[in-house]
Amino acid sequence: MKKILTGFLILTSLVVGANAKNWVVNQKGKTFIPSKLSVAVGDTITFQNSDPFAHNAYTDDEANEFDVGMQATGKETHMKILAHESFNIECAIHPNMLLEVTVQ
Amino acid sequence: MILKLGLSALLISSAVYAASDMQKWLRPAEVPQPKDNKLTKERIELGKLLYFDTRLSSSEKFSCATCHHPKRGWTDLVPVSKAVGAGRGPRNSPTVLNTAYQKRQFWDGRVKTLEKQALGPIEADVEMNMPLEELIPKLNKISGYVELFKKAYPKEGGITTKTLAKAIASFERTVVSTISPFDKYAKGNKNAISIKSEKGFELFKDKAHCMDCHDNFNFSDGSFHNIGLHDGELQGKELGRYLTKRRAAWYGVFKTPTLRDVTKSAPYFHDGSVHTLKEAVTICANGGRYKNGVKNKSTYIIDRKLSDSEIDEIVSFLKTLTGPDMKLNIPTKFPQ
Repeated sequence: MKKILTGFLILTSLVVGANAKNWVVNQKGKTFIPSKLSVAVGDTITFQNSDPFAHNAYTDDEANEFDVGMQATGKETHMKILAHESFNIECAIHPNMLLEVTVQ
Repeated sequence: MILKLGLSALLISSAVYAASDMQKWLRPAEVPQPKDNKLTKERIELGKLLYFDTRLSSSEKFSCATCHHPKRGWTDLVPVSKAVGAGRGPRNSPTVLNTAYQKRQFWDGRVKTLEKQALGPIEADVEMNMPLEELIPKLNKISGYVELFKKAYPKEGGITTKTLAKAIASFERTVVSTISPFDKYAKGNKNAISIKSEKGFELFKDKAHCMDCHDNFNFSDGSFHNIGLHDGELQGKELGRYLTKRRAAWYGVFKTPTLRDVTKSAPYFHDGSVHTLKEAVTICANGGRYKNGVKNKSTYIIDRKLSDSEIDEIVSFLKTLTGPDMKLNIPTKFPQ
């Protein structure tokens, strides 16, 4: 029984992994592009920075806590969606930047 | 013919580009206001009375206007403000001008709205030192205020901390910059500013990178930076936004202030340590007061290799951002 359960869990995680998507969000003109995303648990978000200066995407959402730290021009960072809870991402430098993430 | 058409198209597209390029410097059509506190004449007038009323402080000698006075650039023109009692506040008094357009309030951005900001200085022991649990009953004993709150907020339960904050915030939202020479220039009057100022504007946008932070109509994008005023480990209020949450990016950072009416609000920076615009520009555009040893110094603050005359040109441009004082009747009589 234990073996079956373990096998089921491995299979489930493989299925989730296989269906997981990567979403690209660019930081340009001091805005997140796009500014709204609809994602699923297991998906990843890639943050690009096309501005000529640094950004610092973060969320204080407890279930999906995330802080890329200082992200220089041209660099990429990645975030994995961990929990089934919608949240907002801001830039720690530019509070006017807002990305609304809906977790389906 | 084709050449002529091509040339006219080029000229037109260049003119359109120039116009759209200037668009972002123009004041938005409306002042932002929350759905649950739309501006009305009654709310603004009530807020104005409260703003100038010294009875809102424990000593009855301080009002909001003591540190944010319209005749002193909506600040108090000293490095750090006097507090009720013998003390002084820890930071330079920020201007109230155009705070309606800000997404975060206070130097450290600890609150988002003017409603949340309005009560902070009243209660702060280094400012007006008036506990709200004493102030609200006190205001409720002033029949003139009871009537005015009823008219301004008829369905909101009279004088409460909520309606007090809303009224003061309403008045603050009317404190907006007037038409400056730069505004006339941005609208197409090329003679509204001098050639020296025009050169300064180009430097501001390009070589000096001032625009990276001092952007849009309010000449601030609301961003937070450690501009290198102090080296070594920071203490107390110098920690800036880091005090609100120990996020590495917030160590010693403060909000980018507006540059509107900047000639009226010296001294500059969060600690009021700089008395001239020339020194302020030099610090920001030439790599900070301390080039080395600054923890979490903003990557925006680097030496832009500006000459003395280029700094003078930027200062000349900054002076064009000052307009006449807004029309305001400062109340001398208060509700009894």
